[in-house]
Amino acid sequence: MRLKIGVYVCECGPNIAERVDIDRVIKVISSLEEFEDIELVVKRYKLLCSNDGQAFLKNEIESNALTHLVVAACSPRDHESTFMNVCKKTNLNPYLFNMVNIREHCAWVIPDKAKATEKAIRSIRAGIRRTLHQSELLERELDANPDVLIVGGGIAGMEAALMLADEKRKVCLIEKTERLGGKSIFYSQLLSRQGNSAKMIQQKIEAVQQNAHIQVFTETELESVVGFFGNFEIVLKVGKETELQTGLKAGAIVIATGFRLLNPNKLPQTVYQKEDEVYTTLEVESMILNEGKISLKSGKSPQSIALVHCVGRDEKGYCSTICCSTIIKIARMLKAKLPQISIRVYYRDLCLPHKTDQQTYEEVKAEGVDFIRVKEAGIQNTSIEYTQIDGVKKKESADMVILAPAMEPADGTEALAELLNVSLGETGFFQEAHHHLNPVATSIEGIYIVGAAQGPKGISESVAQAQAVSGKILNRLIPGEKIVPEVKVCKVLEDFCTGCQTCLEVCCYGAISFNEVKGVSVVNEAVCRGCGNCVASCPSGAMRAIHFTTPQLYREMIEAIR
Amino acid sequence: MKEPFHPKIVSFLCKWCTYSGADLAGTSRMQYPPSILPIRVMCSSRVNPVFVIKSYLSGSDGVLIGGCHPGDCHYQSGNYHTRRRIAILKKVFDSIGLETERVRLSWISASEGSKFARISEEFTGKIESMGENPTKKKVFL
Repeated sequence: MRLKIGVYVCECGPNIAERVDIDRVIKVISSLEEFEDIELVVKRYKLLCSNDGQAFLKNEIESNALTHLVVAACSPRDHESTFMNVCKKTNLNPYLFNMVNIREHCAWVIPDKAKATEKAIRSIRAGIRRTLHQSELLERELDANPDVLIVGGGIAGMEAALMLADEKRKVCLIEKTERLGGKSIFYSQLLSRQGNSAKMIQQKIEAVQQNAHIQVFTETELESVVGFFGNFEIVLKVGKETELQTGLKAGAIVIATGFRLLNPNKLPQTVYQKEDEVYTTLEVESMILNEGKISLKSGKSPQSIALVHCVGRDEKGYCSTICCSTIIKIARMLKAKLPQISIRVYYRDLCLPHKTDQQTYEEVKAEGVDFIRVKEAGIQNTSIEYTQIDGVKKKESADMVILAPAMEPADGTEALAELLNVSLGETGFFQEAHHHLNPVATSIEGIYIVGAAQGPKGISESVAQAQAVSGKILNRLIPGEKIVPEVKVCKVLEDFCTGCQTCLEVCCYGAISFNEVKGVSVVNEAVCRGCGNCVASCPSGAMRAIHFTTPQLYREMIEAIR
Repeated sequence: MKEPFHPKIVSFLCKWCTYSGADLAGTSRMQYPPSILPIRVMCSSRVNPVFVIKSYLSGSDGVLIGGCHPGDCHYQSGNYHTRRRIAILKKVFDSIGLETERVRLSWISASEGSKFARISEEFTGKIESMGENPTKKKVFL
């Protein structure tokens, strides 16, 4: 069959038309010798992305019976999908279409019209050459399970479960301990002015337990997970007898495993024994919650209390972001309960990111709490040894010491990461897909992270993330709708594969496995994202990145510099 | 009179960061030389060092590889692999007497349109001062 390539140059109103000599582009491209055995249809149009433009393109594809299509216009980020959709309305496979960017990369950056035109011609030639090496690709459709598995029954996990259940999604919520609520049930107050938060948390727990769409498994852990987005098969380890529960399916998995507090006893600068009056912030919060007062082990009231910030910050290498507001909240509660006593706060830096924090801090200071800025501080039982900002070392003692230790990933985080094949960041918390743009997704499609499992954060942010994840899942997994897996994946040419397994090393998605029997690598196309790292790493040329194959890129490159 | 030298620089740009940065340079109407010939790839780690060698030996006066900043790779660690590969490639270039300065790897994010324009300008200037690719049409692979 004789090839017939349609090349359409968009004027983009004046954007391209005024800066690139389109008539010259058409003249040069139409008369290219190297494409002489190929029929070229080269035309211009005022605005191809408009409805009229799309209709024009559709008509051109059909009436000319084009075998390939090249559109020279704006960035593919703007309208590649627009024109692929036009192809889908015709018999032309959308992967036989290629878009050349002559607006952002030519018209708008090169003031000299002749030079811009020259680069546009070069780019279009390269684009035509690439298109000739493209091949038809078929998008497959797979059934997807809209149910969700949530790992961790703290505030973030519960919130996500309730949001999803509201939309009648079946949720399986598993919790390692014997009760729901996570760390949030230890808090006596959420912020310094909000009454009893324990009641709020309790109501949430009850709402989860009573919801018909949520199945709660306590004392349960994940045993195994296989599959991919839309089709995960899950085995749970339930109860103290660790009975295995199989046959569970879900389309998405939410990691909400939270945090634990660093054990201050592990640090050389904090030395104390169990019988000392030294507590962590969480221990003090539950003392206030359960006993309604602050007292020493003897039952007496303390006369002086010292609060120490940033315990373990240097060792962990990050700020836990909520400790400052927690300490200020605790200082205020102490001052309210024991107005006469001395309260001294030893801090290095103050991190007050929320809009009410600064005001609370000013108020607590005005109420008589002393804030002492230090270079470093440690404790020896209940005496505080610190270095002032001016370098002078001091030692003071208190009846009671409250430490704010760093937040660190929950127990079992590493094992869970390995089981789910998602990565952990340098801090040991689960790594998000993109810090700014995709903070609740992981590298694996269909597996999400919420709350403190992703990094230190408080309740409000955890709840916000839980709601964000619910939105993502409700938006992506719709009952009855099929999912279309990425077609631009990598494939192994088995005849070339020498079995060196280099590709397994570089793939960050764990999408490649090794077939011991055949001695070749195998790509799980449902997991592959098509980055092409394995292709560049393969010493025997056995890997192929579909739609970004070596011949496609190579020919495009050679044509561009010719 | 000798024709002025207009270098050709094949530029492999990662779709998520540098290509988008180049788009931003366009939408911000920045100016940079027409020497940059962009090839869009999914990730800078798709750039097989052989591509760089091939484009160099085929007459490209310089080769630019653009990826996301370390830690920002859309595919988590792709750009770290790129960094290692290009470092080794430069050693190879050096050991066979090719000019390593003709290969440049840069981290340019989607928001760094001005950095894209600046690096294009700088690199083009550098190549112009070095002159034409000496292997042009003399060595085959």
